[in-house]
Amino acid sequence: MSGGVDSSVAAALLVEQGYDVVGATMKLFCHGDDVPDRPCCSLDSVNDARRVCEQLGIPHYVLNLETKFGHDVVDNFVEEYARGRTPIPCVRCNTFTKFRDFLKKADSIDAQWIATGHYARVVDGELRRGVDENKDQTYFLWGIDRSVLSRMILPVGTLDKAQTRARAHSMGLEVIAEKPESQEICFVPDGDYTRILEQRLPSDAPALSRGPIVTSSGKIVGEHNGFARYTIGQRRGVPGGFPHPMYVIGIRPTDRAVVIGTRDELMGSGVVAREVNWLTATPSVGHRVSVRVRHRAPLASAEIVRLDSDEIELALDEPVSAITPGQSMVLYDGDRVLGGGFIEASRGQRVALPVLAA
Amino acid sequence: MAERREARAALDEARERVGRCLGARPDEICFTSGGTEGDNLAILGAWRALKAKGRKTVVTSPIEHKAILGAVHQAANEGAEERIVAMTSDGVVDRRSFDELVDDTVSVCSIMWVNNEIGTIQPVPELAAKAKERGALFHTDAVQAFGKIPIDAQKQQFDFLTISGHKIGAPKGIGALFIRRGTTLEPLMHGGTQDRGRRPGTENVAAAVGLARAAELTLAECEANCARLLRLRERLEAGILAKVPDAVIHGRDAERAPHIMNVSVPGTDSESLLMALDLRGIAASGGSACQSGSISPSHVLSAIGVRPDLASAALRMSLGSLTTDHCIDRVIEVFPALVAKARQLTAAQ
Repeated sequence: MSGGVDSSVAAALLVEQGYDVVGATMKLFCHGDDVPDRPCCSLDSVNDARRVCEQLGIPHYVLNLETKFGHDVVDNFVEEYARGRTPIPCVRCNTFTKFRDFLKKADSIDAQWIATGHYARVVDGELRRGVDENKDQTYFLWGIDRSVLSRMILPVGTLDKAQTRARAHSMGLEVIAEKPESQEICFVPDGDYTRILEQRLPSDAPALSRGPIVTSSGKIVGEHNGFARYTIGQRRGVPGGFPHPMYVIGIRPTDRAVVIGTRDELMGSGVVAREVNWLTATPSVGHRVSVRVRHRAPLASAEIVRLDSDEIELALDEPVSAITPGQSMVLYDGDRVLGGGFIEASRGQRVALPVLAA
Repeated sequence: MAERREARAALDEARERVGRCLGARPDEICFTSGGTEGDNLAILGAWRALKAKGRKTVVTSPIEHKAILGAVHQAANEGAEERIVAMTSDGVVDRRSFDELVDDTVSVCSIMWVNNEIGTIQPVPELAAKAKERGALFHTDAVQAFGKIPIDAQKQQFDFLTISGHKIGAPKGIGALFIRRGTTLEPLMHGGTQDRGRRPGTENVAAAVGLARAAELTLAECEANCARLLRLRERLEAGILAKVPDAVIHGRDAERAPHIMNVSVPGTDSESLLMALDLRGIAASGGSACQSGSISPSHVLSAIGVRPDLASAALRMSLGSLTTDHCIDRVIEVFPALVAKARQLTAAQ
C-alpha cells in the first residue's frame, strides 16, 4: 500500500469482500531528508497507508526492502543509463521486489494471496489488461514469475480511475481519495533522474561526460554534456537549424555520441528483446501478436520472426517510432498478456546502429 | 487563590516524592517531557556550560539510546570531541577503555544504566566514581533501570540521571532529570523561571503527580516484581532454547535486568517474525524503527560485534507487570513454530 488511492481502494474492496487483509507498505529507499510533496513513497505516504488501514480495521506493517530494491532496481537503473540505455525501473520493481521479495513476506505470514492496486486483471490464471485502457499497467508487469499469477488479486483492474476515486469517496477514504497520480519514478526525488546518476557514478563517467552530437551521416553538429541525459525520441537538447525537426535516434557509448535524425529515421520496423519472460505457453515463430514498445504507445501488429532461449525478434507490420533499448516490449493477444522482454535493439531503422554487447 | 495553591502544592509534593525515590532532594529534580528531553538536557546542558572552561570532550558508549547518541552528535556539531568507549561482546562497557578515554578534557560522560535492547547492566556507580576522579560530569540514562536497579543519589556519584514516566506506568509525556545540587547546566529552552529556569514552560502538574505515584508504586513492588520477571524470563529463555537450541540470546553472559530478552535465530529475519508474532497477538520488537516504522538492524547489536545475519534476525521481548505465565506459555508454543516455518521458507529459496 503506497498510500495512494489505487492500493487503498484495493484493500478496502478486499475487506468488503470478506478477505482477511493485512496491509503492508514497502520502504524502498531513504533520501535522508524526507521529500514532503511527493505523492508516493514519502513518509506522508506511509502515514496515509497506515491511516487507511486503521480506518479499515486491518493491521499495517512497513517492510524494509531497501537493500534488495537498491540492488535489483536502483543499481540497475544507474548501470543502464551508463550503458546508453533508458531503463524502466518499475518493471524490475514488480518482477523482483513486489512479486518476488514481497511475496516471501506474504509466505512468512501464511498469506495465500498478494493484492496490489495495479490496473490489470488476472483471469483464469492469465494476466489481462485493465479495463481502463488509459491506466492499464500490464506494460510494467510482464516480468513476474508465471507461477505468481495464481496468487495475485488486482481488485481495481476492473475499474477505471474515476470509478476508483468514486469508490474511495463512497467508502469514506477521504484521506486519499483525491491524491494526485504518481507518474514519476519513486526513488527520484524531484523528477530529475540525472541527479541520481551524478550521485552514484564517478564524476568522470563517460555517460556524464561531454561528447559529440552527430547526424546519421556522421557529421558532428554539436556537443552534449553526457549521453545519459538523452533518450531515444527526445527533442530537448538537440541542436536546431535543420530543415526538419530533429530527434535523438541513437546513443553510442563507444564514442559517447548522441545520434540525431529526422522523424523518419526514428522509425523501426523490427525489434529485438532479451530476458524474455512468458506468462502463457511460449508462442512459436510465425505467431501474430500485438506489441507495445513504450508505456502508453499504441499497440502495433507484429510477427515473431526469431525466438531463441532468451531472445526474441519481431517484424512490425508498420514501422514504430522511438524503439528504445532498455524499455520493455510487451506482447499481447487481444487483452491477454503473453509475455515480454527488455528491448535490445531496433531493426530496420534507416541508419544501422551497432547493437550493444550485453 | 486556593486552586492555584493546590496545584502548586501538588507539584512541590510530586517533586519531593520523585526525589525520595531517587535519594535526591526536591531541588535536584527537574521535570521533563520524558527520556529524550532528560538525555538532551544533561548532555547538551553540561557541554554548553563547560565548553568555555576548556573541557571539550564528551564520552559515551555505542549502545546508548538514540536520544544520547543524537545529543552527543549535536555537541560534536557544536565543536565537541566525541569519544565512544569500547564494549565487551557481552554488551558491557569495557572499563579499561572508559578509563583511557575519560581524561581532564572531558566535560560530560554518559553511560546508560540498563540497555534497552539487550538488558545488560552497566557498572554505573563505578564509572561515575571514575569520572568524578577526573573532574568530569557523569550522566546516566536510567530509563530502563528505575525499579530494576537500586538507585540512590546519596551513595552513587552520578551528576545527572534521567528517568521516564511511561516506562513505569505513568502517563506518556512526563519524565525527570536528576541534577545534583551545584551542577551548572545551560537550559535548552529559554523563557520563564519554572523549575529554577532549567526548564521554562508551564509545568504539567497532573503528569508530574502521576510520575510520583508511579515511581513510588514501582519501588514498593520492585523486589517482588523483579523476582517474578526473572522467573518468567528464565522460563521463556529455557523454553525457547529447548525447542530452538541454536537460538542466540544476546548479553546472556552479562548481568542483565530481568525484563528484557533479545534473541536471534539463525536463518530467520526479524521483520517476518515480528509480523507473524504480531498477527498472533504477541508484541515483540526488532532493531531500531525509522520514522516510517520500518526496521533496520540494531546499532546496539552491531556495536557489540553481533554478526550481521544474526543482528537482522534479532527480536526483543520485554516483560512487564501484565506478563503472565500464560503469556510465556503462548510464546514458547508459537515462537518455535514460526521459527521452524521461517527456516523452511529460507531453505526452499
